[in-house]
Amino acid sequence: MFVYEKKLQYPVRIKNPNPAMAKYIITQYGGPDGELGASLRYLSQRYSMPYPEVKAILTDIGVEELGHLEMIGTIVHQLTRNMTVEQVEKAGFQDYFVDHTAGVYAQAAAGWPYNAASFAVKGDVIADLSEDMGAEQKARVTYDNILRMADDPDVIDAIRFLREREVVHFQRFGEAMGIATSQMDQRNVYAVNPAFDRKK
Amino acid sequence: MQNNDSCTYKEGPLPSCAPLAVPMLAAQQCAEPAYDSGEALAKGTLFPGLDLPFMDYVANGPVERTPETELMAIDFVCQELALYLDTHPDDKDAFKTWKSVNALAKEARKRYVEMCGPVMRTDTAKFDSWVWPEDPWPWNAGGKAGKK
Repeated sequence: MFVYEKKLQYPVRIKNPNPAMAKYIITQYGGPDGELGASLRYLSQRYSMPYPEVKAILTDIGVEELGHLEMIGTIVHQLTRNMTVEQVEKAGFQDYFVDHTAGVYAQAAAGWPYNAASFAVKGDVIADLSEDMGAEQKARVTYDNILRMADDPDVIDAIRFLREREVVHFQRFGEAMGIATSQMDQRNVYAVNPAFDRKK
Repeated sequence: MQNNDSCTYKEGPLPSCAPLAVPMLAAQQCAEPAYDSGEALAKGTLFPGLDLPFMDYVANGPVERTPETELMAIDFVCQELALYLDTHPDDKDAFKTWKSVNALAKEARKRYVEMCGPVMRTDTAKFDSWVWPEDPWPWNAGGKAGKK
């Protein structure tokens, strides 16, 4: 069960519309390394995970990612609120605008809609946690790239926060990997998949 | 492990003979040192050892203090400690810290609700009418709907 908190994790207060920036930041809403995919990845991987600590970290990070999805949605909303059609045209935002007006839609920067193929649930402890560590790195790089291009301090501030969360989550998944592998066969951690093969 | 720069928070225990082809990351050893809540929120982490910014994109001091950011900051410390405790459930000191921070967060939430309105839907029970739908919603900050 989930309970909603009527507040963001970190303040987002963008004063000026800037659809050109919204055009690429939307990718962290519905793109391949975005927050929606992150949340679904972790919250879905939980079910087959045999270790309590790993179930906990997948749940707690998965829920935090939903909070990040809300922050990105807020950034895109504030970058497109009160924009004029002239600003839409000048920013080259017509492709998005014609389909979604000033709504927030889960799509990648290049325009394709959110695709669950952008994340995996392998049902194997080491494979899934490796994917999670890789996913945090890919999201970090996406934020690095956004920082390279963004020129509004209000946007940079929130993106910087979100980027740092990827570093922290990477650390926690790495520790979860250690907790998991230390309970496996120490001569060969690949001897069985503890998420599927029963304990002897 | 040799500790050359006395920055223990940068180091984690690895076995002297690490097995091959096993993914491994140095584990954080303890929940100290830690930033204070305002600084932690601004930086995006409670822990100096995990504060690894891109280029010179660093926080310009703590987040501006408002009733809202005070609650955000204390809730953020709770979240950071919770993630740490998930992978360090036996760290009794960190658990003790989490308990005291959690109590502070409860107080901060109470103050915020009285001043600004419900955070959780259940907070609406403290009001005389169904104020839950009232603006601003979290994405309205700074806009017309967010005037308060």
